[in-house]
Amino acid sequence: MPDVASVADRVKRLIVDNLHLEGLRPEMIDEEAPLFGEGLGLDSVDALELVVAVEKEFGIKIKSNEIGRDAFASVASLSRFIAGRL
Amino acid sequence: MVITALGTAGAHGCGRAGLARALAAGMPPPATEVDRSGGFHRAGGAGRALLTPIAALVPWVPPAEARRMGPPSRLAVAAARMALADCGSNPALLAGPGTAVVLSTAFGPTSFSEALLRQILLDSPEAASPYLFTESVANAPAAQIAIACGARGANVTLCQREAGPLLAVGRGAAEVAAGRAERALVGAVDEMSPLLHAMLDRFGALARPREIARPFDRRRAGVVAADGATVLLLETAAAAARDGRQPLARVRGWGSAFDPSAPPTGWGRGSEALGRALRRLLARCGVQDIQEIDRIASGASGSRAGDRLEAQVLRAAWGAAALPPVLAPKGVTGEYGGGFLAAAVLAAAGVDGVAAAPTAGFDAPDPELGVSPHDGTPLPPLRALLASSLAAGGAAAWLVLGPP
Amino acid sequence: MPMGATAATPAELAGAKSGRAGRRVAVSGAGAVSGFGWGVEPLWQGLCAGATAIRPFSRFDHRSHRTHVAAEVPPPPQGSVPVAGRSAGGRRSASDRSGRQLSLADRFALAAAGEAAAAAGLDAALPGLPEGAGGVFFGSSTGGMWEGEGFVAELFGGRRGALHAIASQQVNGPGDAVARRYGFTGPVETVSSACASGALAIGAALAALRAGEVEVALAGGADSLCQLTYGGFNSLRAVDEEPCRPFRAGRAGMSIGEGAAVLVLEPLERVLARGARPLAELAGAGSACDAFHMTAPEPEGAGAAAAIAAALEDAGIEPADVDFVNAHATGTQLNDDAEWRALERIFGERARRLPVTATKAGVGHLLGCSGAIEALVTVLSLARGELHPVPAAADAIDGSCPAALVTGRPLALPAARAALSTSLAFGGSNAALIFRRWTGPSP
Repeated sequence: MPDVASVADRVKRLIVDNLHLEGLRPEMIDEEAPLFGEGLGLDSVDALELVVAVEKEFGIKIKSNEIGRDAFASVASLSRFIAGRL
Repeated sequence: MVITALGTAGAHGCGRAGLARALAAGMPPPATEVDRSGGFHRAGGAGRALLTPIAALVPWVPPAEARRMGPPSRLAVAAARMALADCGSNPALLAGPGTAVVLSTAFGPTSFSEALLRQILLDSPEAASPYLFTESVANAPAAQIAIACGARGANVTLCQREAGPLLAVGRGAAEVAAGRAERALVGAVDEMSPLLHAMLDRFGALARPREIARPFDRRRAGVVAADGATVLLLETAAAAARDGRQPLARVRGWGSAFDPSAPPTGWGRGSEALGRALRRLLARCGVQDIQEIDRIASGASGSRAGDRLEAQVLRAAWGAAALPPVLAPKGVTGEYGGGFLAAAVLAAAGVDGVAAAPTAGFDAPDPELGVSPHDGTPLPPLRALLASSLAAGGAAAWLVLGPP
Repeated sequence: MPMGATAATPAELAGAKSGRAGRRVAVSGAGAVSGFGWGVEPLWQGLCAGATAIRPFSRFDHRSHRTHVAAEVPPPPQGSVPVAGRSAGGRRSASDRSGRQLSLADRFALAAAGEAAAAAGLDAALPGLPEGAGGVFFGSSTGGMWEGEGFVAELFGGRRGALHAIASQQVNGPGDAVARRYGFTGPVETVSSACASGALAIGAALAALRAGEVEVALAGGADSLCQLTYGGFNSLRAVDEEPCRPFRAGRAGMSIGEGAAVLVLEPLERVLARGARPLAELAGAGSACDAFHMTAPEPEGAGAAAAIAAALEDAGIEPADVDFVNAHATGTQLNDDAEWRALERIFGERARRLPVTATKAGVGHLLGCSGAIEALVTVLSLARGELHPVPAAADAIDGSCPAALVTGRPLALPAARAALSTSLAFGGSNAALIFRRWTGPSP
């Protein structure tokens, strides 16, 4: 089983590198906090941008109906989702 | 119909004061080296443009908001906010269904379109970035203005090259005049990406080897490209008076025409017909005698063919009568980015020295044209100003402005 | 009210708010190019048969794109499409000489304009119109981008690229090409407001005609398939792998199409004076912006409803006078939900019974041209007295947006009084048009 913690580190790095959130560093991201709405306050387009980055980084394919669901609720849930696909 | 605010961003910086000073002095801001590392530019080609200092936009569009905006959206939203600040109004003025937005752009968001195409064509379509796509559509700046200001009236983006800015003013004015909007934010935005700059050079549009715009000059050799945005607030005189907003200038009329002899990327030979169209427009605006127009703000830019047609159209419209003083602000503002529109409004507003500004880049008249732009000699206050722009491809747009 | 006049009085403003203050405007001709073929008849027949033109396409290699279908325009019937012709006064225009400067979108536009002009009985008359009398009001989202992509691909590969391939890239290319073809010297403008472009252009033509700025307007739009928009909408995961199924429960996104649509618009008296019969009357236009989000519609449909209300007011009619709707209906979850809310706001209880058709299910989303081709279909629906069905689909209408979608056979509506065509754009710009059935000289 791939190491979820290292996946999470890479996901946080993707968020910082791709979503242009001013002043954000990976260590500032709470893995359990909501990504959308509150928490980081990302929206649907941010989600899609993150999906493109995740697909490229991890070499996986994410289906349209998987986006915005529970898998994407937080960094932690997204990392578990990705790890399950590796 | 009156203009009660003007926001403008360009190489001169942000706000109209800097632009007004440059115009009055006949001194263009310094042009900047365009990034040629993409390899699109040709050796010996033009390499400079009048570019807006990005840092100057930050106070108007903070990073948290700008993070998903492309360059044109940032410019446009900044200019809209500058306009609001210019008239000292509460943001609540613009929020609601009564505010229309009409913007023009000559080429749309070119840097994001290019980046998106790189992803799709060189990497893979699956690498296409949603950020880039949403901001690569021509209407992104107008949509962002609407979101930033809460403007829920009509939202229209026009693409008609160099005639776009005056067309956008006319369109917005029509919305207000017909009662479909209470007010309109109107204007123009262009970015000048390295690829676009290189393409304009390949079409021979840019001034070389000396990168100076020389409107109407015998040695004119092309335009100096610029980026930027200008946004005006248009409303009825009654609404402005009711809210205590002082008009900058009056809009007396607007109109447009087309020259079907023009090729898609150039100017044609239809000056006589365009001259007649201009006469018809002036008559519709209630200008009984063409000599009531005592100032012209010409869109002449240093283009050999464009300036020639502009001169021919003005001569055709004026016939035997002498032309009034002709201002040619693109010697200072460059071509694209809305600077010309701002300059025309500042001239009509009677801002110090702008309405009698010397023409940057002009040294010697071209005998073929029979038009010499103004040399900076003081002039009496103007009563009616005609702004004129002729687009590559054939469109023509005019605006008749008056003092406040 | 004369165009360009000085500040209007309050009374003038009040009167000008309703279309009744200006002269009536008629649609005298229509032309189209779509995935069903070149011409109005293939379009109409395809739509009425409940067919879809959305299928695997060959314009570019889509194997690496996320989806693989689109409503691509088939090749024109051999020799039937004049690509370039003589312009006014027998002088050849620049675009005639160098046919290679015409993009595919330009060619679509010219074909549609030619068909529309002929249908209006004006193809001989248009080049000879008085100065300033003819104008073009067009919508496009990408113009000649397809050709531009070829050029840019060359550049990315370190090659020079041929300038003619990028010369036609401009968004205003198709509209300008039409103006050049007929030698028009009146207003020529291109709107590029995404999916509302075509409808906004038609609305601009209406205003110009009422104000006396033009006597004949060619209004419409053109867009061609290109990788930028195909890949772009796919990046938003907004495109269905299957042909779109607007308003249905399992709908999974939009389908992209291409083509052109042109309406000939003239003052009603002018059409009648030459003994021609209007196809329909263009009664009103309205627009409003969501000012909500760059891609998602405002979920309560308030902006769309505002545009529809403005169009109704402009036409001087009530919602109860509208007998069917040609909906924007892209087939995305969000659009159809928001659009339904807007229809409910305007039509109330009646919304559930008001016949609705969704042209995009047949020809896909023509982007900058979509408002124009759907306006054209709305005009045909009124003129021919029937509303086309959408293609059959397995899933039921979504209970949360229960539009009375026409399915199976065309719905006969010979007595329809007025129709609404809606366009809800990416970026939140909404436009609505109201057409009235032409019933004869005495209204």
